[in-house]
Amino acid sequence: MPYSFLEHTADVRMRVTGDSPEGLFRDALFGMVSLMSPETKKEGEKIRRKIALDAPDRTALLIDFLNEALVWMHTESEAYTEVRFHTLGERKLEAELEGERVAGFGEDIKAATYHEAEVGKDPTGTWATTIIFDI
Amino acid sequence: MFDFQKIRKITPVLWEIPRSFRDDMRVPARFYSHEAMLHEVGADRALEQLVNVATLPGIQGWALAMPDMHEGYGFPIGGVAAFDRQEGIISPGGIGYDINCGVRLLRTGFAKEEIKDFLRDVGRTIFSHVPSGVGRGGKLSLRGQDFDAVLLLGARRMLELGYGIEEDLAHIESGGKLEGAQPALVSEHAKYRGRDQLGTMGAGNHFVEVGYVETIFDAAAAQDLHLAQGQVTVLIHTGSRGLGHQVATDYIRLMNRVMENYGIHLPDRELACVPFSSKEGQEYFAAMQAAANFAWANRQLVTCEVREAFQRVFGQETPELSVVYDVAHNIAKVEEYEIKGVRKEVIVHRKGATRAFPGQPVLIPGSMGTASYVLLGQEASLVQSFGSSCHGAGRRMSRTRARRQTSAALLREDLSAQGIVINSGSKRGLAEEAPFAYKDIDDVVDVIHEAGIAKKVARLRPLAVIKG
Repeated sequence: MPYSFLEHTADVRMRVTGDSPEGLFRDALFGMVSLMSPETKKEGEKIRRKIALDAPDRTALLIDFLNEALVWMHTESEAYTEVRFHTLGERKLEAELEGERVAGFGEDIKAATYHEAEVGKDPTGTWATTIIFDI
Repeated sequence: MFDFQKIRKITPVLWEIPRSFRDDMRVPARFYSHEAMLHEVGADRALEQLVNVATLPGIQGWALAMPDMHEGYGFPIGGVAAFDRQEGIISPGGIGYDINCGVRLLRTGFAKEEIKDFLRDVGRTIFSHVPSGVGRGGKLSLRGQDFDAVLLLGARRMLELGYGIEEDLAHIESGGKLEGAQPALVSEHAKYRGRDQLGTMGAGNHFVEVGYVETIFDAAAAQDLHLAQGQVTVLIHTGSRGLGHQVATDYIRLMNRVMENYGIHLPDRELACVPFSSKEGQEYFAAMQAAANFAWANRQLVTCEVREAFQRVFGQETPELSVVYDVAHNIAKVEEYEIKGVRKEVIVHRKGATRAFPGQPVLIPGSMGTASYVLLGQEASLVQSFGSSCHGAGRRMSRTRARRQTSAALLREDLSAQGIVINSGSKRGLAEEAPFAYKDIDDVVDVIHEAGIAKKVARLRPLAVIKG
């Protein structure tokens, strides 16, 4: 499982791994979408959303990316199933998200936080971080 | 588990982590707890997070945590910290994402016996009148200057639009309006998230609860608040919704980018902060106040929806539901205290902590299905806790573990056996809020009472709980 949910007293602690930065960012996004429990429409309208960001480092880039996606999930009821990264550097990201418009969400996420987030590569070459969501 | 060898007992309910605990602490950390509750306090990362708060520039006195403390992100929940107005910082993470999440208590003209046969109706009607859950909008959808007027004027704007009566504003912390709000400093993203969320409850631990006054501890104080034994009350717990969440997100992001310019290096970037007097500090403070005003407008509109629901069930002649008080428990405010013999202005951060000025009602909601309390702030709060008290029971168990130990159906059965009606949109959310996932509210409130921060006035018991 590229993402899993761990114990946290009040919020949600997610551990996410990937074999590349792209994989890590993708699965962090999908983990967040799954946490929101989208209520799929029978015939969901397909949507595309472009996100372009810069940040001081890769960890901030990931958290800012998730928070930007969260805005559109909340305001336009979008749930993402695909993501293509046109650029994904240490401090810059350009992505195109695909998914569908949903009826609503079963759970709320207020924000992805920087607390405990630390994107890094372990000796086996796996990219990983922990993310705490305020729910 | 936290190493309790290094802490020192100040009183039977107050403990100190000395500065020597970690090199980077600027002040000691103090927390309130009975000795018997220490194992719960040390079970998660709350105290480690409190020590981190004690490292922040300009912190005064102590980094404090209330007896309902638990692990948060950055600051612990139940955290209180005051920073020098001139030389200290402001940290959005010390206020939280749900800016001015808070509680409002209404009193009704009904006695418990008069409504006991109508509880199902009352629960259902409130559930339909107060939109709840994720993404369900309210009846007011404001744009442009009309929206900005809410950010500027808070609960007052709701009155101008016909929602509420003048008397309501007299019983809200800060009159339901902070003067320094600047709508222009709230991003379009934030305004877009909040555009149709006025008068909505949201999800998570937010609720509307119909209850009654079960016990009165202080007859004179209860009489002053017009609370009587057996009287039916309504508690409203909600905040600034998506608008406040986005204001916090925007400014934590900004502060992470600029804090190095101010020479600030932190053990946790969720503590991101800048000097209060800096441009970014002042801008966040103005945006935070706008979000706080939005939250007060939200609770004002929810109050009107609850009034309408009561009229729907009991008829137009229903006695008016009056506001007892309304408190914020995620906020920062400029206040003045005597610190080491000198009067000083500080920026007090309350993250899951309630203002408890002498003579001010302090509202402490318990977990679902258990008691809630009305207290009255005491003089000692000004000396020992920067005028602050706890804000609730405080979680002690993760949501996942709560879900493993019960189900929505079992919980409904339990609460129903106690005569409590539940209306909830989310089964999962209901199980996560199981009473056993929280600390014992009686213990938590006793600590505050014994510390002399606030005295117990009345205990409320739930009759109908309405949740997102």
